[in-house]
Amino acid sequence: MKLVFYSGGMAKENQNLDRAFIELLGKKNPVVTFIPSSSYLSEEEFRAFVKHYSKFKISRFIHFPVDIPFDKILLQEVMRSDAIHLAGGNTFYFLNSLRKAKLLPQLKTFAKRGGVLTGLSAGAIMMTENIEMAGYPEFDRDENTVNISNLSALNLVDHLFFPHFKNSKRYDTVFKKYSKIHQKVIYACPDGAGIVVNGEELRFIGKCYAFSGGHKFSIN
Amino acid sequence: MGQVKKSQTDEIGKRIYSSFARINGEHSFKTQVPGGRLEYQARHKKGGKVAFFNFDLAKEMGLISKTHASELNPDLEREILETFSLVIINEYDLMNQVKIPKEDTYPHTFMATRYLQLQHPDKCGRTSGDGRSIWNGSIRHAGVTWDVSSCGTGATKLSPACNINKKFYQTGDPSISYGCGLSEVGEGLETLFFSEVLGKNGFKTERVLAIIEFEKGLSINVRANPNLMRPSHFFGHLKQGNLLTLKQVCDYFIQRQIENKKWTQTSFKNDKEKYFYLARQVATTFADVSAKFEDEYIFCWLDWDGDNILMDGGIIDYGSIRQFGLFHAEYRYDDVQRYSTTILEQRQKARYIAQCFIQIADYLTTGKKKSISQFRKHEILKYFDRRFIESKDRNLVQKIGFKKQHQDLLFNNHRHLITKFRKTFSYFERAQSKRGIYKVADGINRDAIFCMRDILREFPQIYLTRQSLLTPHEFTEIIKSSYAKKADLKITELRKKQINRYQKAYLEMVKAVEKDTHMSMSQIFLELTMRSSVINKYDRVTGDSITYIVQKVQKLRPKLSAEELFALAKEFSSYQNLNPDNKKVPREISPRYKNIMQNLYSIVRECREGL
Repeated sequence: MKLVFYSGGMAKENQNLDRAFIELLGKKNPVVTFIPSSSYLSEEEFRAFVKHYSKFKISRFIHFPVDIPFDKILLQEVMRSDAIHLAGGNTFYFLNSLRKAKLLPQLKTFAKRGGVLTGLSAGAIMMTENIEMAGYPEFDRDENTVNISNLSALNLVDHLFFPHFKNSKRYDTVFKKYSKIHQKVIYACPDGAGIVVNGEELRFIGKCYAFSGGHKFSIN
Repeated sequence: MGQVKKSQTDEIGKRIYSSFARINGEHSFKTQVPGGRLEYQARHKKGGKVAFFNFDLAKEMGLISKTHASELNPDLEREILETFSLVIINEYDLMNQVKIPKEDTYPHTFMATRYLQLQHPDKCGRTSGDGRSIWNGSIRHAGVTWDVSSCGTGATKLSPACNINKKFYQTGDPSISYGCGLSEVGEGLETLFFSEVLGKNGFKTERVLAIIEFEKGLSINVRANPNLMRPSHFFGHLKQGNLLTLKQVCDYFIQRQIENKKWTQTSFKNDKEKYFYLARQVATTFADVSAKFEDEYIFCWLDWDGDNILMDGGIIDYGSIRQFGLFHAEYRYDDVQRYSTTILEQRQKARYIAQCFIQIADYLTTGKKKSISQFRKHEILKYFDRRFIESKDRNLVQKIGFKKQHQDLLFNNHRHLITKFRKTFSYFERAQSKRGIYKVADGINRDAIFCMRDILREFPQIYLTRQSLLTPHEFTEIIKSSYAKKADLKITELRKKQINRYQKAYLEMVKAVEKDTHMSMSQIFLELTMRSSVINKYDRVTGDSITYIVQKVQKLRPKLSAEELFALAKEFSSYQNLNPDNKKVPREISPRYKNIMQNLYSIVRECREGL
């Protein structure tokens, strides 16, 4: 599988992750699909996305909001694209929309078939087993505006992902506690950092942290 | 409350919101067109509460400072109520000697203007006009003079009820509805939400300045526009052959257009040149607006009386205004005694309005009123026809998503390609259901079956990714609306040809732009993809959605402050702003607010193909 986990931040901070993404694509003139977490003003996000990735000589993009109905013709093109980007936003709303649109299994197949799947913040959390991280910690969480209780997501990797991490005692306490009672390792990445998965290989870009068994580890 | 402004000079400089004192009933139309209005004394109406105030519009009009917070304070609320919470002392009050405390009456009179209305038996405009509205006055700020009028300020003798039943009505008389002189909060909200959305999307329109709420859902709805004159303000006097008043109305209107810098030509050799310039301006405005109405699926009941529209093509009286989700070309509004025009008949009505202004120009120049039929081959009408088609072409390339520079390029150098594309575009746009005409809630309709916005939005991105044409089946799958039944979607030989023509004509335009610019096909398609996703957004507001939204907002109203309602209307109109050149920045809003907005979005989505 080819996955890129973006935490967030400005374009400049993500240069290394972007380079890794382009390497993973390994193709001239690829088609990249942008899936916003919500259709609301997503045209603006799409425009920014296109502007950013045009710098890498990508010129074929699809804008694919999933919280409004879509036809199967466009969906076919999406699933045929070389990469799909899951954007940031409210993780609960995003998951609810993906589930309602019955897209979770299709995205999973896409990734397993070798398509590059990238996610930013909420989109990155979506690639893990569940979106519990979006509700953590209490002082920095997404609102569950859609009141969903089934938080299971794409489950493409064996770890959890926490974006926008701030290296502070407050966060450490919460995640150490969480990792004591949960088996999966949490990779917490500040803005500009992230993870690249290429098959069995896991590559950390920028300063990242891992929480496991009640302990914190620095990576890079 | 209960204090009524005594005079303008008393107050300027003493109050924080001194500009409000300038809106006191005085208006230049009163003196310049004495035969075009009635005057009413008015008294303060107690028990009002400001349900809505348009802070942005008030800033544009200079009523509050540019830096004023979007918050009502006691001083501002008092000013709004003292300025606008009024009811006229009408003929019924005078005949019945209704006692009104002197301190409650306003020092100046307020006018109700006379205009032609087809509902009146007279059909000449002698008895018709503002039936439940008065003009509060005008205010000049930043080089623009604004007219302000209020609806729900009492029954005038110009209402249809008064003339049909030959009696004067007491304001609020429960035995009649429209003629009772009152209006409702719902009407104000409908106008507010609709006008703010259409205004953001380049339509000229009346705008709601304030809604003052009273018991039982009643309200005074205050509206503003740089010129609230309608064609019907002219037509009444034309019908009556009242040369003097007709000339006064024209001169008054021309003066305002020049004052507001709406006209490029401001001096004229003689009256003939001046009045024919007016006729040409009307032809331009109404050719453009009727083309835009047709292309944006706006149903505005244009008729021979020129009542439901402003002279600048602005929308007024949202009661029967609709925006369809699809091109429902046979919808007719049922107005009890008659059916309205259809969306396609609007062009002829608009043309007739222009023809009336040619008649007016000739009448004012020669002093002789000739039959309107004598002007049916006039050069200005030929100009109207050309202009209408030009507007249609321009609207279409804009809708496809071409940026201004490319629109001009296509229009100036490759007009035939636009015409070619328009023909096939219209074939799909005007395709109707085999179900035929049937009754809908407020009229009759025959369903359109294709959603042009969907194909305009999706075609460029699909072509960009696969670089080949859609098959007839795929094309149909994308373009079909929820109204289309199996029989409507049959892929006949003709339809196959049209599907092919549509895509080829589209590509020809893109290739023409490629040839004349330094952009590649991919770059043009990418730009079209991005722009079209905004212009042809999946969830665009319709008349039905506005009705449901207003119902929803009314349910929430007891808990919504005037400020919250303002913020909600602003947020909603910004979300419905389909101008791709307008950069929108998502704002952080409270979860409660977010929930309300989500509700409104889902209403828009559900009603997106309706009436």
